[in-house]
Amino acid sequence: MIQLKKSYKYYNTGSRKAYVLSDISLDIAAGEFVSIMGPSGSGKSTLLHILGLLEEPNDGEYLFLGENVSHLTEKKRTELRRNQIGFVFQAYHLIDELTVYENIETPLLYKGLNSSERKSRVAELLDKFNIVGRKDLFPSQLSGGQQQLVGIARAIAGNPKVIFADEPTGNLHSEQATEIMELFKKLNEQEKVTIVQVTHSEHNATYGNRIIRLKDGLVVQ
Amino acid sequence: MKNYFKTAWRNLLKNKAFSIINLLGLSTGISVCFIIMLFVQDELSYDGFNTKADQIVRVLFKASINSGKINEASVMPPTAAAIKNDYPEVTAVTRLRNTGGSKILYNGKKYNKELFAFVDPNFFQVFTVPFLKGDAASALLEPNTIVITQMLAHKYFGDEEPIGKTIQFSNGNTLYKVTGVIEAIPSNAHFHFNMFGSMTGDSEAASDSWMTSNFFTYLVLQDGYDYKNLEAKLPAMVEKYMGPQIARSMGMSLTQFRTKGNSLGFALQPLKDIHLHADSTAELEPGSDIKYVYIFSAIAIFMLLIACINFINLSTAGASKRAKEVGVRKVMGSGQFELIKQFLAESFLLSFIALLFSYVMIQLALPVFNDLSGKNLHIGYSFQPMLQLLILGITVGLLAGIYPAFFLSSFNPIATLKGRLSASTKSLGLRSGLVVFQFFISISLIVGTIIVYQQMNYIQSKKLGYSKEQLLVLPNSWALGKNETVFKENLLKDSRVVNVTISAYKPAGPSNNNNSLVYPEGKENQIMKIVRYDVDEQYIPTLGITMAAGRNFSTDFSTDSSAVIINEAAAKAFELKGDGVGEKIVWMKDNDANKATYTVIGVVKDFHFRSLHETITPLLMTLNPQWGLMVKVKTADIAGLLVSMKQQWINYNTDEPFEYAFMDELYNKTYVAEQKSGRILSIFAVLTVFVACLGLFGLATYTAEQRTKEIGIRKVLGATVTQVSNMLSREFLKLVLIACIIAFPVAWWAMHTWLQSFAYRISISWWVFVLAAFAAIVLTLFTVSYQAIKAALMNPMKSLKSE
Repeated sequence: MIQLKKSYKYYNTGSRKAYVLSDISLDIAAGEFVSIMGPSGSGKSTLLHILGLLEEPNDGEYLFLGENVSHLTEKKRTELRRNQIGFVFQAYHLIDELTVYENIETPLLYKGLNSSERKSRVAELLDKFNIVGRKDLFPSQLSGGQQQLVGIARAIAGNPKVIFADEPTGNLHSEQATEIMELFKKLNEQEKVTIVQVTHSEHNATYGNRIIRLKDGLVVQ
Repeated sequence: MKNYFKTAWRNLLKNKAFSIINLLGLSTGISVCFIIMLFVQDELSYDGFNTKADQIVRVLFKASINSGKINEASVMPPTAAAIKNDYPEVTAVTRLRNTGGSKILYNGKKYNKELFAFVDPNFFQVFTVPFLKGDAASALLEPNTIVITQMLAHKYFGDEEPIGKTIQFSNGNTLYKVTGVIEAIPSNAHFHFNMFGSMTGDSEAASDSWMTSNFFTYLVLQDGYDYKNLEAKLPAMVEKYMGPQIARSMGMSLTQFRTKGNSLGFALQPLKDIHLHADSTAELEPGSDIKYVYIFSAIAIFMLLIACINFINLSTAGASKRAKEVGVRKVMGSGQFELIKQFLAESFLLSFIALLFSYVMIQLALPVFNDLSGKNLHIGYSFQPMLQLLILGITVGLLAGIYPAFFLSSFNPIATLKGRLSASTKSLGLRSGLVVFQFFISISLIVGTIIVYQQMNYIQSKKLGYSKEQLLVLPNSWALGKNETVFKENLLKDSRVVNVTISAYKPAGPSNNNNSLVYPEGKENQIMKIVRYDVDEQYIPTLGITMAAGRNFSTDFSTDSSAVIINEAAAKAFELKGDGVGEKIVWMKDNDANKATYTVIGVVKDFHFRSLHETITPLLMTLNPQWGLMVKVKTADIAGLLVSMKQQWINYNTDEPFEYAFMDELYNKTYVAEQKSGRILSIFAVLTVFVACLGLFGLATYTAEQRTKEIGIRKVLGATVTQVSNMLSREFLKLVLIACIIAFPVAWWAMHTWLQSFAYRISISWWVFVLAAFAAIVLTLFTVSYQAIKAALMNPMKSLKSE
């Protein structure tokens, strides 16, 4: 499903190139739950962004769902993000001006669903995540765990094939973290959603079925 | 769609301060722009109601005789017929003659005089005025027929049938039969007569004299025919018809006349241009000036731009607040286009709310503006102005929103989510440029306003060569007839009265106006058309005019009936010997070569008998007292004096009411257009500066917010409150100073050009610019310092902790 071949990412700092990722090749099959680990600055987030089509590698090839996406137009990439990819962030990144309901609805708007389709999908998710009672609250009125729950609901609203999660529990205390990780596991197992997460926690990494370790921009394991 | 507006609404609520600044700015901008749009539309709509408006032209007589310029809208009686006869491209001609009018008599009752004109029978086939009764084509075919407005018909005849009724004027015996009733002439017409009498049978109208003129002449051209082509052919007509008469009366051929550097001929003026180019002498009504249409249009556009700039600046300055949202939305699959739509929704929502405020503002401001401009503009509930207002709102939404929408939607999602975006610096250059532009306009307007006021002040205090203070004018004392002199003698007995003169010629305000063809004896080729005043012996002392040489008219000299007093300009133009006293000049009274020789007995110092727009031209005074009183008084009790004057007036049993005017007020009225424009300009200047300052205040708020951390660090390092607030204010001051530097030459040039329309004007002094700059700087400091000081006073630890 995801194939990254000999990819590099660097930034030009003065005359020298500072490599963030070098010679990365990896394969992730549909239905996997992969954890990317590594110390700070090892390029985990950049890798995740490249996989999520938010950044482009400077060199190398990237096949997403069998399609070479290395040099796609911004429009095509947006299209893929819209239909195939869901994102979960450490800082949740909910839109402060929108209610829980509207936050979950937003990706559906971009997908072009009509209002009744949106309504039933959002209702379904609210129900599933047990947050029906909070649907009219704004993010600032929620706890961190609750916000992340909404973040995940929003990520899977458009029925993506894959979810990229960037330290999804990094801002949460352990009890909430467990809840979130259990949720990911459930999604992976029951709904066959591919999940790629970046994490610092060995414990959280164990929820997945494979760990990719990075160090100084290289895959070490 | 609904979603876009919902988020837009929440964003407006979230940033209340900025929404209010933007709303205030935009609604002020929209209101000013819309009011000016109404004003300009009204100005441009003059005479457009005529169905043949695009085909009608007016004939002007233009001549330059011994460098005296003549530009008259009323021409000779046979002009119309000659043009119709010689040029088939002219499908119709019609003439109008303005008459003073007098009281109207009907059924034993007297009514006030009305604006009255004689017209050719086909007048209403050329000008489109709806007939309520009678027939436009045939109403004025018979002699002594008259068409009146519905209002007058109702006033004289009540509910009775007006057609066939006869009315009379108090100054004549002719009975006029009402043959038509029309609607009132629309306000946007260049004349507003209420009565149109038939010219049929009038001997003067049938005259073939090319030496008198009194007839406003209009031509209807073939549809699509360019009037310039006809204009080019008119010299031939001058040759053919006027040539022989000139040769007879001046004793020289037209060619000779022309070789002496003189010129004479006709020009054509499109009907729709008359109102905005009303620069001929003796216009039917004072017109307007296209210059002010341009100036006000420019102000309207600038005002709108300045309001839009506020929105642009505040949106881009506050971009960092929105950056995260942009990033999240992009990650969730939003393309740039969806985001552009979303941000445009915000600017549109804002501009539509501003539109609602504007509607209220316009309703409140229109009466004030009407008062200032002398117009009668209104929006009511009709469709067209509403549509225009809507279009204005859409324009503003787009103008203000398009750049921020592109700018905000272009953010890189990764950068924004990591908080790496320095969005505010990215657009800093543009913002600074826009602030400079706003202040460039504001400062230019301040300079402009000051200079207009200075010139108006100059006009007020200018030494005119006569004294306009405490000078009472009784315009209709002609009604006293023989009692005019009696009244005068009685007035002189009153201790409050200094002097009285009988003359209908006033140096300011509505006055009798006469031109005479005159040349110095023996020098016929120096013939010129000069202004003639009929005065009495007391005219010069009453008006306080100074003699330069010779003496005033006097009852001691019986020969004074063939004496003239001229002004210095005339003495110079005639190239008279010495001071000119004792020289003889010849006055050609009419086309029959009826000449009379007069001796110059005195020369008066030049006085301003025309507006200060024009230089003082040659003037000649003859002793011929009649038709008007001017009274020089010296009293604090003017009201009491007026009461006793009125008492006497009533005793003379005239039909006319006792009317009076003060010369200084008449003088001021001459410049009413400039005064109005000056006042409107100053209001717009204040509003522009206000909106620009609003924007500055918003920007200062953002700057203070964004630099909170920096300010915190500086304070920890030991910066004082003054140092910090100076640092924040300095940047804005710099922009205002740059604006000053750009504004000064532009404003100087613009005002210099404006002043050129005055023959007598102030010179622009440097301190005006210093004052404008000073005002702008003080305003800037005042606006910015609130935020700067607030930021500087903040507890530094607070701002650092939150990072």
